Amino acid sequence: MSGSWWRFPGRMLLILMMALAVAACGDDDKESDQGVSGGATTGGERLGGRVAVLGTWGGNEQDAFMAMVKPFEDRTGVKVEYEGTRDLNAVLTTRVAGGNPPDVAGLPGPGQMAEFARQGKLIDLATFLDMSAMQQQYSQDWLRLAQVDGKQTGIFIKTALKGPIWYNPKTFGSVSGGTTPKTWDELMALSDKIAASGTTPWCIGLESGAASGWPGTDWIEDIVLRQAGADAYDRWHRGELKWTSPEIKRAWETWGRITSNDKMVYGGKQTMLTTNFGDAGNPMFQNPPRCYMHHQGSFITDFFVKANPGLQPGEGYNLFPFPSFGGNGDAQVVAGDLFGMFKDTPQARALIQYLTTPEAQQIWAKRGGAISPNKQVPMSVYPDDITRQMAQSLVGAQTVRFDASDLMPEAMNNAFWKAVLDFVQNPGNLDSILANLDKVQQETKGR
Amino acid sequence: MRTASMPGHPRGRTEAGARGRTRDPLAPLRRTPVHAAIIAICLLWMIPTAGLLVSSFRDPAAVSNTGWWEALTTPSEFTLQNYERVVDTNNMGRSFVNSLFVTIPATVMPILIAAYAAYAFAWMRFPGRDWLFLMVVGLLVVPLQMTLIPVLQLFTSWGLTGSFLGIWLAHTGYGLPFAIYLFRNFFGGLPREMFESASIDGAGPWTAFFRLVLPVSIPAIASMAIFQFLWVWNDLLVALVYLGGRPSVAPLPVTISNLVNSLGQNWQLLTAAAFISMALPLLVFFALQRYFVSGILAGSVKG
Repeated sequence: MSGSWWRFPGRMLLILMMALAVAACGDDDKESDQGVSGGATTGGERLGGRVAVLGTWGGNEQDAFMAMVKPFEDRTGVKVEYEGTRDLNAVLTTRVAGGNPPDVAGLPGPGQMAEFARQGKLIDLATFLDMSAMQQQYSQDWLRLAQVDGKQTGIFIKTALKGPIWYNPKTFGSVSGGTTPKTWDELMALSDKIAASGTTPWCIGLESGAASGWPGTDWIEDIVLRQAGADAYDRWHRGELKWTSPEIKRAWETWGRITSNDKMVYGGKQTMLTTNFGDAGNPMFQNPPRCYMHHQGSFITDFFVKANPGLQPGEGYNLFPFPSFGGNGDAQVVAGDLFGMFKDTPQARALIQYLTTPEAQQIWAKRGGAISPNKQVPMSVYPDDITRQMAQSLVGAQTVRFDASDLMPEAMNNAFWKAVLDFVQNPGNLDSILANLDKVQQETKGR
Repeated sequence: MRTASMPGHPRGRTEAGARGRTRDPLAPLRRTPVHAAIIAICLLWMIPTAGLLVSSFRDPAAVSNTGWWEALTTPSEFTLQNYERVVDTNNMGRSFVNSLFVTIPATVMPILIAAYAAYAFAWMRFPGRDWLFLMVVGLLVVPLQMTLIPVLQLFTSWGLTGSFLGIWLAHTGYGLPFAIYLFRNFFGGLPREMFESASIDGAGPWTAFFRLVLPVSIPAIASMAIFQFLWVWNDLLVALVYLGGRPSVAPLPVTISNLVNSLGQNWQLLTAAAFISMALPLLVFFALQRYFVSGILAGSVKG
């Protein structure tokens, strides 16, 4: 008996000891990592070490980013350890709060950047970036969007245009008479004309998982910026202009002219609410077309081509800018990918410095799917005319404003998404929907 | 002990079988509607998975234009390109090994600890036992998301972030309350006479635990092992927070989720990836299925 008394615990202990031995190996691995990065020297020819990057990109975006940092790795010997997650906001917030942030991270948006910056988590990039050179390469707007309380806490490395309206040139010509609408009234006249012919003019899809509704916020933003002007737009996203104010309410009503009329949108409100934003534009390419126009950001071409192989930019799909409202000048709503620095290491500094250069940014621009905010990236690097056209309108616009919903506090942003869905479902409830948004605005403003 | 309790089972089964054969020759026929209904429900239940399987062999453009059932009439359009792309993805093999390296210790550790604890809760007397057990059961309702930040702070100060030991400890902690609860109830249902006669034979708590409790509890342990294995194998959140997505440590779900672009492009790769990552859990399930089924039966008969 006494023999077996020991035998079984002995076996278990053996397993435990093995587990611990393996764990110890894991620890060694980690310590050596830190050792390498700690031993790096500044100013040397080859820096060496590692830099941990957390971002939102996956798939071929991740490939593009890795291609972008490849020359940096080759030149400096620094290993870029990229981690991607589509739930960047949750993972980054948790890691930062848990005291384990990455060295460098893509930030979910200027709103969250401001929150991290005010907690003192982000490093002021102006401490090591040559700001006078930056001002020559970046427009004032792009630099200011990444500043919090006068500190350069972030920097844009990739941007996107929010507002264009897409069409299929093969079918659009027969209904538009060869011109594209310049003003909202012309756009509505064209829409009415198409609707009267029996086909719906618009394709809209609002489904996007937990973020459902956001494609609608882009509509409202485009309308507010051009109808009420940049000043009202700024006061609105800062929470100084109420949702129930005439400017904002008018924007919703303007959009409602399209969404509340089942003859205007393919499949009516049911299809709008249940169609994923990525698939929404596809009925334009069917034969006969189910719709003629689709409003979506510059990234959507990727979806067009994936779902309709062989579609060529220019012939297969084209765009015209979001129309103006009575004389308000050329204005664009934009979005972009911001980078910030959480740990001040020589490797992180070198990487941020490298990512702001035209040399780095044109690598991704050349691959398509990205517009560089750096003015020194030549227009010739863009892979096709459509992308070039978008890059030009982004650089050349008189007024550039960032996606308002991304500038709002997170709770406000979420309420905005949901309000879009409510409004499409029940356009008649607009007053109560806006009143509810006012309440959220009040609650989030104090923070 | 085990042999003494065994004879009851075969005898009971043959009696029931004999009774069925002599008194009711139509029994198999009578059961047919039940079987048909079960098969119908199973098929209905499997439709989404079948659709996913068919879609994983289709071209993404075809998936977004026609339903998967329409593909069945044109099998020539099936393609392996999704699987090829997933398998060719950098780091997929490494992630598979990482996943095993995370999952196996994170399954063994909580089961081992929970078995000790459950034995103590079930058969040892000590002050505060019921209160302690109540606390453990109470932990079942704490959402693990609430623990992410405090535990991460602890791990950061101990230097455990990004190491396998950290994630083993995390999964052990998250798995323990349910494992202790399950094992305690199972152990508590064992006959008291078994322990009494064992102690008359001179067995101490260690012997009773290893030679009596563990062998007869194989069904419960196997059930728990399946639950814990599947949970850890499929986990994305805990791995992403404590371990991170560095290529050298990223487990399978992290690498798979990175196949997709930030706005959801390339989702078709997920269909193929889902079946690749499903392969091992299915193997584990079929290997332990025998115990799993008898585990359920043991519980029902005992009650």
